[in-house]
This record gives sequence, C-alpha cells and structure tokens, in this order.
Amino acid sequence: MKSDSPVPAVDRRSRDDARPVPVAPVRPSVAAAVPAPSAIVAPAPTAKIEIKDLRFYYKTYLALKGITLPLYDKHVTAFIGPSGCGKSTLLRALNRIYELYPNQRAEGAVVVDGQNILDPKQDVNLLRARIGMVFQKPTPFPMSIYDNIAFGIRLYERLPQGELDGRVEQALRRAALWDEVKDKLMQSGLGLSGGQQQRLCIARAIALKPEVLLLDEPASALDPISTLRIEELISELKSDYCIVIVTHNMQQAARVSDFTAFMYLGELVEFDQTSVIFTNPKKKHTEDYVTGRFG
Amino acid sequence: MSDLATRISDWDARYAGWARTQNVFDRIFRVGTGFFAVLVLVILGGVIVALIDGALPALRHFGWTFVTSESWNPVTENFGARAPIYGTLVTSLIAMLIGIPISFGIAIFITELCPPWLKRPVGVAIELLAGIPSIIYGIWGLFVFAPYLQSTLQPLLIDTLGEIPGIGKLFAGPPLGIGILTAGLILGIMVLPFITSIMRDVFETVPPMLKESAYGIGCTTWEVVWNVVLPYTRIGVVGGIMLGLGRALGETMAVTFVIGNAYKIQGSLLAPGTTISAALANEFTEAVGDLYLSSLIALGFILFVITLIVLALAKFMLIRLERRTGT
Repeated sequence: MKSDSPVPAVDRRSRDDARPVPVAPVRPSVAAAVPAPSAIVAPAPTAKIEIKDLRFYYKTYLALKGITLPLYDKHVTAFIGPSGCGKSTLLRALNRIYELYPNQRAEGAVVVDGQNILDPKQDVNLLRARIGMVFQKPTPFPMSIYDNIAFGIRLYERLPQGELDGRVEQALRRAALWDEVKDKLMQSGLGLSGGQQQRLCIARAIALKPEVLLLDEPASALDPISTLRIEELISELKSDYCIVIVTHNMQQAARVSDFTAFMYLGELVEFDQTSVIFTNPKKKHTEDYVTGRFG
Repeated sequence: MSDLATRISDWDARYAGWARTQNVFDRIFRVGTGFFAVLVLVILGGVIVALIDGALPALRHFGWTFVTSESWNPVTENFGARAPIYGTLVTSLIAMLIGIPISFGIAIFITELCPPWLKRPVGVAIELLAGIPSIIYGIWGLFVFAPYLQSTLQPLLIDTLGEIPGIGKLFAGPPLGIGILTAGLILGIMVLPFITSIMRDVFETVPPMLKESAYGIGCTTWEVVWNVVLPYTRIGVVGGIMLGLGRALGETMAVTFVIGNAYKIQGSLLAPGTTISAALANEFTEAVGDLYLSSLIALGFILFVITLIVLALAKFMLIRLERRTGT
C-alpha cells in the first residue's frame, strides 16, 4: 500500500541471526518509569493525558497491572500487542465506557488536563463529549446521515438551524465524507458502505469538538482502500487532536502513529517513538513482537 | 476405457441409487412444507367464508343499521352492533394506554438498567404472568379488583377528573366497580407480559457496540433508548404492540366477567358496557332463531375486520416510518 511510510517498513530480520546485535543507540535511552519520548520531536510534545498506575479489573481478574503512560497532544499514539494484552481495555478506561458494565472497575488515575477523570465526581457525559471514541465496526445510528452528526451536537448545544447545518458540513468535510454524501444527507446512515460508515462515525465524534479521539481498531472491518482513507484521515486530524489508536496491524501502527506503546499480558512493555519501537526497540520482547517472531 | 473413467463409472453406479433416494426425500420435504404453508391459507379462507356465510342473513336484514344501531333486543329480534364495537375499541384503547408505557418501562429496565441478579426473577415473573389463564384474571377481576376499584380508585376519579368540564363526562356516574374502565385495566394487565417480553427480546438484539457508541458521545440512558434503541428495534416493538392489541381486542373471558354486559353506550368509562367477544360468549348458547344466531356471527365477522384493519394500519405505519428514515 503506502510505501512512503514515516518509518521504514518493519524489516523482518532473518531468523538465523543469533541474537541480533543491538544497534548502537542513536539517542541516549531513558529508562525511567515513564519513558520520555526521545528528543527528536521538536518542540517537545505536551502530555494531554497522563495515565498513572492504572489497574483494571474484570470482576476479580486483573487485566491491567499498573500502566503508567503519557499520551501527547497533537500526536498519534498507537497501542499494539497480542490479543488479550489489555490494549482495548486501556482505551476503554480513558472515557469510562467500561462503566456501562457491572463488575468492571479501574483504579489508579487518568489525568486529563490536570483532572483525574476516574474521579466519581467527574460528570461522565461531559467527559465523553471531550473524549470521542470510534469502534471496531462502524456503528451509525439508525437515523439519517445528517442526524447522525446533528444528534450528538444537539445533546450539548442549542444551535439555530443554519449554524447546525454548518457544523454538520464541517464535520463531514473533516472526515473526508462530504463530497460523497452531500446529496443524500437525509438518507439513512445505514445505507452507506462500510468505509463510509466508519468515516461517518469519525465525523460524528469530531462534530462534538472533542480534545481526544480514541480509535479502537477503526479499520479492522474495512477493505484496504477504506483503510487507507481512514489512515490519511488520522494523519490529517492529528494536527488538532490527541489521537489514540488500538491496532492489531503493526504496519498500520508504523504508518500512522508518532508514539507506540507495546503491551503484553496487561503490562506496558515499552513505550517510545514509533520509529524507535519499530527499528531499535530496547527490549527483546518488543523486537520479537514487531518483527513477527511471536504474537 | 481408461482406468480413471472406469473408476468414475463404478462410482456413479454405486451411488446412483443413493442419490436418487436423496432426491426423492428432498422432493417430499419440499411438497410437505409447501402443503403446510398452503394449509394456513386454506384455514384462513375457510374461516372467512364461514363467517360471511353465517353473517349474511343478519347483514342483509339490517343492512348498515347493523353497525350503526345501538339496540340489542332478542325479543323483538332487533340487533345492532354499535355498543359492542364501541366497548371493544374503548377497552382495547385503555389497555394499550396502560400496557404500552408500562411494558416499555419494564423492558428498558430489564435490558439496560437492571442489576444482573434481578434480571432472571423479573423475566420469569413476566412469563408467569403471561401464563395465567384468562378465566383466572376474570375471577380475580370480579371478586378482588372490581370491589377494590369501587371503593378506592373510582370515587377518587369521580371526585377529581369527574369535576373537570369536558372530560368529566368520562368519569361521571356511580362507582359500580365493574364497567368499561375495569375491563380496560384488566386487559392492560393481561397484555403487559406479551408486549414486555417481545420488547425485551428485541431490545436485546441491539448490538452492544451501537449502544456504547451512543453512550460514547455522552448520551444519557434515556437518550440512548429513545434515539438509538427504539429506532433500531421499531419493527419488533410495533410487532409486540400489535400482538398485545390483538389479544386485547379478542380477549373474552376476563372481560365478560368485569364489563357488566350492557348493550348501551354511556358516556362514562365507569359505566358498564360490552364487547364483541363478551357478547358472543354470553349469548351464543341462548341464541334461538336464525336472525339472532346470524347477528352474533356478524359480530364475529366485524371483530375479524377490526383486527384486519388494525394490522393493516400497523403495516402502513411501519412503511411510512421506514420511508421517512430512508432505510
């Protein structure tokens, strides 16, 4: 697909190589509890979200064993790891969507702009307006394309019709969907193709002017062309948002993200710039995973 | 002949009989299921023909006055269906007004809000409620519910709503206990489990991810239910309501017990009345004379037509809804 990916495609170094000689670190490695990003990105990104010692329980099962991680504003952070490693769980903790289910709870802190959102006093509906989420499968609401976008806006703002129209158009344009749907705004959102539906869901999320966008494998149910469009969209949107993406597809993580967190069995194994994770990881485990040797 | 060709022809010979048997079975299966399907149409057609045939003498004798006349006099053999039609429609309307919101509330509670340990008990209770025979509802209605209404709810209604000009007429008159309102309330209780269990089942078909994405933009539970769950399940919900309405229109025993069986349209809901099915149950055994019997069958035919119209309206409504949302 895209050959001009931001980092060299994951090179599957030959397996016969006995323990690959660690390439001399280009940058001094920071082995702190919170791995700071290496200093290549200038200016230094600010952390929009600070996850601090987050533990997550399904009933009594500990699914996240104390995650500490910053998520930077105006950058894309990817969570990678094998199935069941807790990457989706981590994402779902960030807008407290897990609270819909009894028996699921989180401990620790998720600090967004200095506020711990896990605090029960935090209004969860306002929180979710600030932190948008897009799911694995497209989930358009059973209403018209227009209403799919306008519905969310109307929850929070009373706008005159003209202004509302403008907001809907703006959201659809940002999601690169406007040209395809502008003549059929009153038709059902369910009539669109899978890729269009997913962009509709992204438009729905950004129509609320959130600060953070959570994407849970947003392209896993889509064909390659639609996937490409979603990825382009993500690169475009990151100038305004803090974007977090969970993905099974490592090439995708390499293509779209600036930072990557590799997780395994509920623990954060390594977090660094995507280019570092994919070309010069500090941990053997990470390297084995990104080179496809396990997982 | 090549080796392969021999093998194939051997194989063909060996399995030809077997394949033929399979074909025969398949054909029997197709014809059999088709027969059952056609049987439904035949039975329905038979019922319609029998009803029309039986009702024809009365309809011919009275003409349109059969529908418009309110008199029901076996002695003078002067029959009119207006009072039973009125009673049927009004009791069913009351039943729906009570049954639909409560069922909706129960179904939403069970699917969206209920703590898991309470889910099963409530669900089982609903199913048990559906299993109570209607005669039991009738007895309970006559001996327990009606006296209770007579001493509490009805005086209250008469003193409050009855005083309001306009709608006051609906709640005028003495508290008798039995009557249209009581029948409507009993019907409401009876249709509740049907509507509830269908609503619950269809609400559970909503994909969790769809609900999550609605909660994910900050919807409250009510907003999710009203704007996402209900539109997503509207066909099932309307189906459930129609099932309940069908039951309310045709319910016989329980209504017969509590409605008072008066062939009269009084303005008040507290007054006794009758329904089509109650009239049939009460009088079929006493119907002497061809015109009497035919009039009763004509009543049955009208009930059939009412049900048909209701179903058609529901379908029409669904089609319009679909066109509006463009699915």
